[in-house]
Amino acid sequence: MNMSHNGDFSEEELDILQEVMNIAFGQATSDLAELIDIYVVLSVPEIKLVQAEKLPGYIEETIKDYKASSIVSQSYWGKFKGNALLVFPLGAGRELITMLDPESGESASGDQLNVLEKETLIEVGNILIGACIGKLTELLKDHVTYSPPSVINYNTSESSLFENIIEPNHTAITMKTVFGFEGRDINGYLFLVNDPESIKWLKMALHTFMEEYE
Amino acid sequence: MARKLLIVDDSPIARKILKKTLPKEEDFEISEAINGLEGLNKFKEISPDITFMDLTMPVMDGQEALEEIIKIDKNALVIVSTADVQPKSIERVMSLGAFDVVKKPPKHERIKEVVFKAYEKINSGGQ
Repeated sequence: MNMSHNGDFSEEELDILQEVMNIAFGQATSDLAELIDIYVVLSVPEIKLVQAEKLPGYIEETIKDYKASSIVSQSYWGKFKGNALLVFPLGAGRELITMLDPESGESASGDQLNVLEKETLIEVGNILIGACIGKLTELLKDHVTYSPPSVINYNTSESSLFENIIEPNHTAITMKTVFGFEGRDINGYLFLVNDPESIKWLKMALHTFMEEYE
Repeated sequence: MARKLLIVDDSPIARKILKKTLPKEEDFEISEAINGLEGLNKFKEISPDITFMDLTMPVMDGQEALEEIIKIDKNALVIVSTADVQPKSIERVMSLGAFDVVKKPPKHERIKEVVFKAYEKINSGGQ
């Protein structure tokens, strides 16, 4: 099923968005690599635009074991405003604990481990979302503020997530990438869900960005 | 005499931006490639004076293409142009023989600096 609605963006606008997101995510990865003190192998990110009402279907189709996924959600406000949803697949939280805080990971169990996993996902999500949106809006000459991030489980919040955060007429910029952490690959999905006004601003900002190079 | 320049990047926008940031007073004969493998083949075909190489690309990434190019010509002037700004990535490509690294999006002044630095190396017979 084709869920993208790239029709709102021309091919060139999508290419510009792809490049700007690529730069922004490169910055975010660098910030994360600095925190973990590890080398992250980046893959070519895939960028698509999806109507927000079709996002649940897109997630089901794209993400294996999506019901076991954890999502870090963070809102941002500026001329570009919306909600960032960073989706971590099953097991990613534990993998990240192993890399970030192996001692605590070994000694924790049960609820303690669940709390540690949640804190780790929030920490990593906050860095990736903050650096990515920060660089994106810096390149496009905007400034945004953020809400504190929260972590939600897809399965338990499926209906409320999409009812409370996502309006049907919003547009999701979807980005799929793979982080390679020294032999361990973690699929990462970032969705930026924005209202029509922000998408309109984004199109204009992408053209302004390119004017420097005309 | 126009210098032969090869730009290897899967993004048409990145290639366009790079072309627009080249020093306007200089004359270039520009070739383009959309992945590392195509870039490697173009390198063999045209022997460019300077190669700009992205890192994250499909088919063959820039790091592998850089390694293959350096095997062909250890003095090749390959400037890595990348969004991957991790210090370890930069160290890694420099150790593989990259001439310099330019962070995306490139700026006019930085491109001018690195191109003229490459010219100096060419003129001193270092290539």
